[in-house]
Amino acid sequence: METAPAVEQARAILAAGLAPALKRTDAPAYGVFPVYSPVELYRAAGLFPIGLMGAGGQIDIVHADARFQSFVCSIAKSSLELGLQKRLVGMEGVAFHSICDVARNLASVFKRNFPGMHIEYVHLPQNAAGPETEDYLVAEFRRILAGLERRLGHRADDAAVAAAIREYNEPRRLMRELYAIRAKEPERISSAEMFPLVRVGTILPPDEHARILESAKAEFLARKHRRMDRVKVIVEGAFCEQPPLGLIETLEGAGCYLVDDDFCAGWRWFSTDVPEGPDPVRQLARAWLERGRATSTRYNPDKPRHKDLVRRVRETGAQAVLFMPAKFCEPALFDYVIFRRELEKENIPHLLIEFEEKMWTFERTRGEVETFVESLLFD
Amino acid sequence: MIYGAGVDVGSTQTKAVILSSGREIVSRALAMTGANVTKAAERTFSEALAASGLPREKIGYIIGTGYGRYKVTFGDSQVTEISCHARGAHFMFPNTRTVIDIGGQDTKAIRVGTNGEVVDFAMNDKCAAGTGRFLSASAEVLDLPLEKIGALSLEGKEPVRLSTVCTVFVESDIMSYLAQGKKTPDILAGVHRAIAARTISLLQRIGLSPEYTMTGGVARNIGMVNCLEEKLKTQLNVSADSHFMGAIGAALFALERAELASRGKREEAVIGGWEDGLQETKQ
Amino acid sequence: MAEYGTAVHEASRKAMSAWYDRLALAARTGAPSAYLMISGNCVEILRSFDIEPAFPEVNALQLAIRKQSLPLILKAEEIGYSSDNCAYVKADAGFTFGEGAPGAGKIPKPTFIVCNFVGCHVYIKWFEHCSEFLDVPLTMLDIPFLRSDRPSDEDIHYVVAQLKNLIASCEKATGKAFDIDRLREICALSAKAEAGWQRCKDLCKNSPSPMDAYFDAINLMGPINVLRGTQDAVDFFDVAVREYEALVKAKKGPIPQEKFRIVVEGPPPYPFYRQFRDLFAAWGAVAVQSTYSTVGGIWEFGFRHDPKRPLESIAEQMLMENLCNRSLLERYKQIRRYVEDWRADALVIHSVKSCRLFSAGQGDMRDYFANELGVPTLLVESDLEDPRYYAQAMMKNRIDAFFESLEHRKLLKKPQGRTTA
Repeated sequence: METAPAVEQARAILAAGLAPALKRTDAPAYGVFPVYSPVELYRAAGLFPIGLMGAGGQIDIVHADARFQSFVCSIAKSSLELGLQKRLVGMEGVAFHSICDVARNLASVFKRNFPGMHIEYVHLPQNAAGPETEDYLVAEFRRILAGLERRLGHRADDAAVAAAIREYNEPRRLMRELYAIRAKEPERISSAEMFPLVRVGTILPPDEHARILESAKAEFLARKHRRMDRVKVIVEGAFCEQPPLGLIETLEGAGCYLVDDDFCAGWRWFSTDVPEGPDPVRQLARAWLERGRATSTRYNPDKPRHKDLVRRVRETGAQAVLFMPAKFCEPALFDYVIFRRELEKENIPHLLIEFEEKMWTFERTRGEVETFVESLLFD
Repeated sequence: MIYGAGVDVGSTQTKAVILSSGREIVSRALAMTGANVTKAAERTFSEALAASGLPREKIGYIIGTGYGRYKVTFGDSQVTEISCHARGAHFMFPNTRTVIDIGGQDTKAIRVGTNGEVVDFAMNDKCAAGTGRFLSASAEVLDLPLEKIGALSLEGKEPVRLSTVCTVFVESDIMSYLAQGKKTPDILAGVHRAIAARTISLLQRIGLSPEYTMTGGVARNIGMVNCLEEKLKTQLNVSADSHFMGAIGAALFALERAELASRGKREEAVIGGWEDGLQETKQ
Repeated sequence: MAEYGTAVHEASRKAMSAWYDRLALAARTGAPSAYLMISGNCVEILRSFDIEPAFPEVNALQLAIRKQSLPLILKAEEIGYSSDNCAYVKADAGFTFGEGAPGAGKIPKPTFIVCNFVGCHVYIKWFEHCSEFLDVPLTMLDIPFLRSDRPSDEDIHYVVAQLKNLIASCEKATGKAFDIDRLREICALSAKAEAGWQRCKDLCKNSPSPMDAYFDAINLMGPINVLRGTQDAVDFFDVAVREYEALVKAKKGPIPQEKFRIVVEGPPPYPFYRQFRDLFAAWGAVAVQSTYSTVGGIWEFGFRHDPKRPLESIAEQMLMENLCNRSLLERYKQIRRYVEDWRADALVIHSVKSCRLFSAGQGDMRDYFANELGVPTLLVESDLEDPRYYAQAMMKNRIDAFFESLEHRKLLKKPQGRTTA
């Protein structure tokens, strides 16, 4: 199967790394640490939000190891390393979120080491939707906007927020469509293609991202394809630190069709468009509370994560779950206990494979996944 | 003439040095530590003593250092090897501000003051990642003698990238690269680069401050020295006695105590732990 | 003549045993009880309904200090916990979850679970797991992290609204109506104990310090965090203040001679509490302040529960008056104030793998104190619960080297030629 030209384009943009991304638009870049961030607000304030998602295997960690211990995940260290190696020059600031204790402390370390940056820590509610939670989140979003207005010296009004919501709805809708196609016909879109298409959105303005997704969709739909004897799996756990492409290729090479995953989860957070309407900040807050993903970094009693995982297995017809947490990722590793318990209750096979963004060799993982796939195919 | 002795009991080797009040190294001895640590310490000290030609009672003070320092039962007190390496490096290279010691169990970065005192130090965490153990594990996987790998790594033109400096996973990483047809020098160059990066980040904790003196056995690994020099963009001081540095430092501390004791100023000679430092001095 | 710490230790043990007895009673009778977390807790509200609080963290601590944690940690790893997960959670999970868990009967199965999410994200997982495995309803209190030096009005409003929801849950669980005057009385008792806490901490500014504010602070932490809002806690702090005042008068402290005053950051290695402590005592080092003692609340700078504004002051305690809900940079300020006002010679950071809230970024903290402020700083690593991460020889080596260097530098600072008698 020939790689689609839109995918080649996405891969080329990703391969060029963060440096050109920082200068891609006239608007100053604003870093966004995983998982979810209200990018619309930054866009409305006149910034260009881009994902600060570690450095993969691209740089050696020299300085950051002195700040964070060996038992801390790679994305925290490599993101800091980018800053300490002065590779984030031109970035106006970074937003961190209430996802885990490491990300939280990392916000402080950024603040001390890069005093010129606008460092924001966004506390996203760890609770069910309710009137007081919604009011709180609206106030939190307003606080962020006010901080940016003070910093940048101009207003970010409701019209600008509404426009930004419309802009980001577009690539998110297209990603939902592509995921739906892949879930139905996984032979039509390989995950080694899907991953760069999604990830490139973290360093592109939403309109450019949407254009690439549009052409990819057209190319995929025009494609001839043939279903292979593979196992349909859902990959869960890689919502923050991102795996190297080689690992995704390894999973497919070992006989898996990925029918769903949580790669770059925050960038495709919503199950529908964020509704338009009066008070766009409130619309965004309400959408976050009611239409957000069930992810390990958010407690939401209305949508328990383990139940949602089983629901997605049933909906996609997946035969198994590959639970794939990043090394040292506490939220994912804790959830494994609950996921495993639920999957076993439901007789859904599962396999645990830890990864690191800076993996270079995949033989070990390949062996494990092949064995797992064989156990399902020749059962 | 007054003499002091230092005995450095490491996990693999034990070293002893005898120093005279003229600050001359009178003799040195080295032996494998083995299972009986106390015996090894005694044997090594006796060898150094024999080599010096001095009678036992001429040695005014003996200090044990290294992991087995409390097994130097015939010694007068103990000082950690961190203080001793700093002291020894300062003695050999007086402008030393930073000591780098890549040991078998741990790696140390020590910032040294103008008097050879420890200003700050940092060590690797509990797991042996990034220590000399990683080098020997790599040598084992490649079936090469440890002393050869440094020179061989210099022949590597395209160093491989390692996912980890974990000694547990080094084997499968190296096997993967061998399976991919990578050349041994390239793999070794990658190994040395990875350890150097880890060492630099340890140095970052105490602040980069030249001159740098490398102590311990790995200082004799030319590949490692080159790698570090490249990353630090400066030359390292490396003594032919690099592996004796802890024992030399201990002997210096011992000599000072012996000298102070001979002048009746016992109190000021106390450097070590409070309980063990206050015991009667010899002579 | 005052003897160090005996009365405080005895009083603490007695007060805490009485609480354990009440828990055992609740386990037998099914009297209302609730799980709660230590940090920035709202125990006052539970007390106003006579709901006995149970603390899984205290349970984990006890298991570690009694050297019972490892088999339970391994049991938890069998049910899927990772070797990289917080071992506090794992020891408690091994103790509490599953058939034949050794904890059954000793700790009551709670009527409900209150997760006061105050900074520590692991709390959420821990209590979700408790709720799931024990099949007990969970009330989550989402406390916004302190994002500047004070919480906003919206933050306080949000927390108070959640406290009101909690009150409704308590009413439902106990069948009792909420009595705000009762809550006011309880808050007044809390404030009295908090004043005692501050006095004890203040006395440590004396030299010698009358207590070790790290290793012995544990005697104070139980009563202040678990028993706050009771007369027992007030009585305990009366005993503590009396004893420490007497020790100050007698110029006595935890060790015969105080040679180094240190501030300690991070939780202790509970499985090796004694051994670890002895490594410092051997050098005459006494902790005059510690951050760990403030995980529950920071009262030494004057915060008190306020009977006039009970819910608001409970919200403030949760939002800002405890270490866990404050940023790393706020912690740097706290430590700096400790070093300056308590006249410390050095900072010791005990970095524990389990607790990333504490440990993630402590290398940066070390850089700030050692390289920017010039405070001698030692960083050592192990764990607060998992004995596999503690290596005595390595620990001793680093601590000895650190105090050797402090000692060496003290000698160098002495005027030349002067001989001490």
